[in-house]
Amino acid sequence: MAGKIIADQIEHSTAGSLDTQYVVNGSEKVWVNFNGTGTVAIRDSLNTSSITDVSTGRYRPNYTNSFNYAADYAFHVTSGVLGATWGLQQLSTHTASSTEFILYNTGAGATDNSIVPCTARGDLA
Amino acid sequence: METPQFKGTHLFDRLCWAKENLEPHQSDYRVVYEDKLDECAKILVPDPNWMACALQGGILPPVWVYHELAKDEAQPDFKKHTRGYLLHQTEPVEAMTEEEAIEYLIMKDCPEQVWKTYNKGNRQTMVICKKEQLPQSREWRNSWKISQVAA
Repeated sequence: MAGKIIADQIEHSTAGSLDTQYVVNGSEKVWVNFNGTGTVAIRDSLNTSSITDVSTGRYRPNYTNSFNYAADYAFHVTSGVLGATWGLQQLSTHTASSTEFILYNTGAGATDNSIVPCTARGDLA
Repeated sequence: METPQFKGTHLFDRLCWAKENLEPHQSDYRVVYEDKLDECAKILVPDPNWMACALQGGILPPVWVYHELAKDEAQPDFKKHTRGYLLHQTEPVEAMTEEEAIEYLIMKDCPEQVWKTYNKGNRQTMVICKKEQLPQSREWRNSWKISQVAA
């Protein structure tokens, strides 16, 4: 591919060096930002083929390039509203190719939210 | 824009190329399906960047590749994917129409038992519709079922 730089290491003039595998392994492999209210719609993404709207506050991003392991990648969601206590209840349906989760509001249970940003990092298949 | 020759290029690199070079396509199609009797209907929402890849052609692997990886993952002794090369080495599929892309997506992201048997039982368990046909309020979201009159 044009413009490709192949390097195994990056070295700073004074602060030492870093193997580029850390950079590759540590970067996000999936991100998606979607509206979980009304008719669910994806705003923007990378490496997501679809979102499954499972039920109230419960969603499943499906990946185009799946991860290597079924449950050996890190998945992160940040979503909430001011003045309410929110938490993420992650479910057991955490496969190499999708992650199902619930947005959980302690006052109201599973709850839809208008801004749902998700990321995942790990080794791709 | 012409797609570069991507056979052998890592799928993630192809997706990065598409993200930089293709305009996302927001599809109005939604796939409604029921895979468990005691649960409400699920809605499959296509990703606009994935749709752009499907319409462009030369980027996505054939859908059978995902089925092969799913078979591997279903094995009781599955630990990690050893055939990920199928995603990268298999000849990418040609450009699809929007409708063909939705059919591909159904076979990729809906459970196999749904798309293989959706019209074989005493009630239809999958429909493809436009987003305007879905209820506009999610107040009763956990009770949504496919209308057998509409199906």
